[in-house]
Amino acid sequence: MSFEYHEPTSLAEAVALGARFGDDGRFLAGGTDLIIQMHRGKLRPRHVVSLHRVSGLDAIDANGAVRLGALVTHRALERFPAFQGRLRALVEGAEVVGGHQVRNVGTVGGNIVNASPAADVVPVLLTLDASVTCLGPGGERTLRLEDFLIGSGRTARRPDELLTSVRFAGLAPRSATAFLKAGRRRAMEISVVCVAGRLTLDASGERCLEARIALGAVAPRTLRAHEAERFLEQRALTAETLREAARLATAACQPISDVRASARYRRLLVETLVPRVLARCVERVREQAS
Amino acid sequence: MSKLALTLTINGERHEILTEPHRTLLDVLRTDLGLTGTKENCLEAECGVCTVLLDGAAVNACILLAAQCQGRSVLTIEGLARDGELHPLQRAFIDHGAVQCGYCIPGMILSAQAYLDEHPSPTEDDVRAALAGNLCRCTGYQKIAEAVLAVARDRAAGR
Amino acid sequence: MATSEPRVVGKSLPRMDGAGKVTGTAVYAADFALPGMLVGKVFRSTEPHARIVRLDTARARALPGVRAVMTAADVPDVRYGGALKDETVFARGRVRYVGQPVAAVAATTREAAEAALAAIEVVYAPLPAVLDLDAALAPGAPLIHEEWASYTAIPILHRDGNVCNRARIVVGDVERGFEEADRIFEHRFRTGMVHQGYTEPRAAVAAWDSSGQVTVWSNTQLPFEVQNTLAEILQMAPSKIRVVVPGIGGGFGGKLRVGVEHFAAFLARATGRPVKVITTSEEELTAAYPRQGTVVELKTGVTKDGRITAKAGRIWFDTGAFAGSGPGVASVATLVLAGPYKIPNLHLEGFAVYTNKTNCGSFRAPSGPQANFAVESQIDIIADALGLDPLELRLKNIVREGDEGPTGQVLNAVGLEECLRKAAAAIAWNDRRPARWRGKGLACGWWTTTGGSSGVYVKINPDGTVALNTGAAEIGTAALTGAAQVLAEELGVDLADINVVSADTFSTPFDFGAQGSRTAFAVGNACRAAVDDLKRRVFALAAAQLGVEPEACRLADKHVLADGKRISLADLARLSQQTGGGLIAQGTFIAPPTAYDSKRVDGHVYPAFHSPSFHAHAVDLSIDPETGDVTIHKYVVAQDVGFAMNPTYIEGQIEGGVAQGLGQALSEEIVYENGRVLNPNLTDYKMPTTLDMPRVETILVQHPSLVGPYGAKGVGEPPNIEPPAAVANAVASATALRLTSLPITAEHIALALRDAGT
Repeated sequence: MSFEYHEPTSLAEAVALGARFGDDGRFLAGGTDLIIQMHRGKLRPRHVVSLHRVSGLDAIDANGAVRLGALVTHRALERFPAFQGRLRALVEGAEVVGGHQVRNVGTVGGNIVNASPAADVVPVLLTLDASVTCLGPGGERTLRLEDFLIGSGRTARRPDELLTSVRFAGLAPRSATAFLKAGRRRAMEISVVCVAGRLTLDASGERCLEARIALGAVAPRTLRAHEAERFLEQRALTAETLREAARLATAACQPISDVRASARYRRLLVETLVPRVLARCVERVREQAS
Repeated sequence: MSKLALTLTINGERHEILTEPHRTLLDVLRTDLGLTGTKENCLEAECGVCTVLLDGAAVNACILLAAQCQGRSVLTIEGLARDGELHPLQRAFIDHGAVQCGYCIPGMILSAQAYLDEHPSPTEDDVRAALAGNLCRCTGYQKIAEAVLAVARDRAAGR
Repeated sequence: MATSEPRVVGKSLPRMDGAGKVTGTAVYAADFALPGMLVGKVFRSTEPHARIVRLDTARARALPGVRAVMTAADVPDVRYGGALKDETVFARGRVRYVGQPVAAVAATTREAAEAALAAIEVVYAPLPAVLDLDAALAPGAPLIHEEWASYTAIPILHRDGNVCNRARIVVGDVERGFEEADRIFEHRFRTGMVHQGYTEPRAAVAAWDSSGQVTVWSNTQLPFEVQNTLAEILQMAPSKIRVVVPGIGGGFGGKLRVGVEHFAAFLARATGRPVKVITTSEEELTAAYPRQGTVVELKTGVTKDGRITAKAGRIWFDTGAFAGSGPGVASVATLVLAGPYKIPNLHLEGFAVYTNKTNCGSFRAPSGPQANFAVESQIDIIADALGLDPLELRLKNIVREGDEGPTGQVLNAVGLEECLRKAAAAIAWNDRRPARWRGKGLACGWWTTTGGSSGVYVKINPDGTVALNTGAAEIGTAALTGAAQVLAEELGVDLADINVVSADTFSTPFDFGAQGSRTAFAVGNACRAAVDDLKRRVFALAAAQLGVEPEACRLADKHVLADGKRISLADLARLSQQTGGGLIAQGTFIAPPTAYDSKRVDGHVYPAFHSPSFHAHAVDLSIDPETGDVTIHKYVVAQDVGFAMNPTYIEGQIEGGVAQGLGQALSEEIVYENGRVLNPNLTDYKMPTTLDMPRVETILVQHPSLVGPYGAKGVGEPPNIEPPAAVANAVASATALRLTSLPITAEHIALALRDAGT
């Protein structure tokens, strides 16, 4: 692994370098994945453009709508006070990434651009209807995160573009989020399956007004379970409807069998974790009310 | 490939380092500076034996480019003891029998140090969660958790 | 032996090498460096079984920074190994597993060495690969070693084609035993391949001097074995080969045999520069000495009231492309298959079988976990079938004081019943299913304290401190702290007065090495012998000084005391230096042979357990019936350690052994598919983290052995044996499902529950 190292100090400079190197270049955020891929010889960029001197990329704005700079670390998500309530799933997703050494360094932007189907924070962002902003020589464009993720390791980012931020709207009243992950160990796991959910309930706390379910590690990219979401909306959330939502979510998966788990087990986990995540959301909404 | 001139503060001392861009902090610490207390194993941030503190936060030196540390402050295990006195965590690891082969211990102690600096009164579960990125194959972690908790208790009691 | 209350032995004193380890100043082999040192790397096979059609290193040799590229053509054509010499330094014409060394390079930097590896050109013609035990044992299976019969082996081995040893124990008449039984139980079990998981990779630095002598700094557990193997490989006199162990970051049996030392030595000789070779995680998980995967078949006959009348058992070890430790492990396994039970009729066989996989070796209690998993799982199955409490069934059949072991050895200091009762009580065994999806499990076993000889030199320094010079390496267990405790106790000094020099084949006396739970036991006994020797010299000198009879002298408080007079050891050492060459002594120890009935064994290289230890594990756990996740509420180990030399570090051995055992039980496996490892990294080789480990409660049981220092028995390996069986039994108790294959992953449990319709 040998390359030229660049440390731009402004977004404009970073984008210019990105444009100049194209496929020969790589942006370096936390590096927790990039450096490993380079060590393994899977990536051999000739130019590495480090972003950590570009100011402002590590900011979290959460006044109503939320904006996460691309360099916000998992640790920053874990600790951000405003995320301890309705957006708890962000914390739950962030705090199960690697060890604390990795969470201190690894970034949300890197996690998204890396486009691993097993990424833990990405499904949470999908349930928040997040959008991502990319900046390139042609200017800025904003895409829905769901459209940005194309496949395993593939996104809609052009080689000369830099993902600068993720945004999502603040949550409506009587909303909550939750995240659960399954792996062989209780820490240091790449998800065998992970599930994020968001529910908005009506005033009675029984009926679902809006539902979002996202699934990790069950398809080439992190998935939204649209059918299951549609099924839940306007329905009373009983054990039965949660089970049906789980069934629909499971049907949306195309899991593979690999050394981490079989496709059959992954489906079984989706079937199990979806109702648990949703039940947890319901519980959290009710806690807010009381 | 051109070399980078870096300035790093390591264990309180300024170091001027000339190195290729691809080299990791671990490589520079161990090979260029002879600070082999920071250990080498998986090189993929899975085992934690290379844990050092970068501006006070625990990081895996194996996947951090030295270049990323330009102008920053690094604490390695060699910098923990002061004036020849063992740091309380070092003392506690010995006293509680938390050290066996010892290869994971520098990283383990630094992870514990970063954690205790911010969480003065942890439970055993908290301590275990904080050390989950540091594998130990000898101890089963029990005496390590006990040592860290003992230090936390001592700090809380102002000892 | 001291007659008064012990001052040093039996105390939880801090280990002697702790400060260096917590401050980062302790130097491990992986840290070791010399000026001008080159980086050595190994080029490895990518095929499970193939002929090498072409191997061209010219391009690699021509790269900048590359100082040597070596292949089989550059080294002596030697086959080496333990009981069976079947291994070569580099593949010769044929590769037999993915990961087998084909060439090695030395270069000025890691990057240059990696570039050289990438530039080596090799063309393989694939051969039919033997991918598992069934394939290796099938009639007409391809032979992994067509020339197996020509290999040198110890004559005891029974070899046949892909079977590189078959060990057997026969006692009584097993068929008649089955006739006496009311019920016969037959089961088959499977266990996966697992890695020792030491945190320090295998590493060695080699440097030659102008006299043609080579020094190798290595993290081997067995410096003398490595010295001899290098002599064989390099075709040199052992006296020209110095092996020094600077420090070891864990071994657990994985660092017994030559691993990278020979590559470092050859490359250093070829380049005239020191060379360091250190393994990557990928090399560790594809080309080290892991624990063999096994298949076990057990047939056990019992009476209605739970008396075992006969047992027939077979265990097959998938030992990989070379025998490694296989022939010995297959032998040891038969003793584990017998179990710590009194069974009048036995027919037990262990097979070490070649396949096209990595060469397996020894891992903490080799064969113990695999065979015990089968034996102790089946005991629970039998108890359930007979409607007996599994604890009661065990108590009905276990060995007790004075009983015979399976090969006729007479057992003494048998603390098994106490272990079982205490472990069961500690998890409230009377309430075995306290809640739905919660259950408790028990498993018990026995193990050996490996023999082999140990020698020490002991010197009293003029300041009154004591140097202990031993050929054993401190691999982390604090065994040398334990041995030093013996020395301090016997010499009447403090532990802090002792300095240890260890593991250097030129300057320390021979030691059989840090293996087989023997270090504190054997080195401790050698220390006692050295003190006997030293006392004669010290007392003679003191007697002359004090004007007393030597017989009146005794050692206490760093002095020789006699008839109310005293003189310090420091004074005596100074005096001796001026007048008699200093106070030095030597001590040696070899465990006395354990008598057994040789007619009962065949093909067997390990026919009896020396100073055996006995142990019971108990676990209380819950299952998430939907995800299959296991939560361990409590884990208890009751282990008969004979005498607890240093209780803190014995607890440490037990806690760590349980951690490795739970890894094998629940999460770890090196997974092969078509001859390739699917998980050659620590992302997917799943060792327990802090959050996966329960607290372990240790109960030390002490039935003193006749041989060990103060009655000690080997401690280090046993705690690794029972966790898989204890977990399997608790999972069965919690779910009514019997899982017969390791690891018992959450997936395994969840899918089995689903299949069972629960």
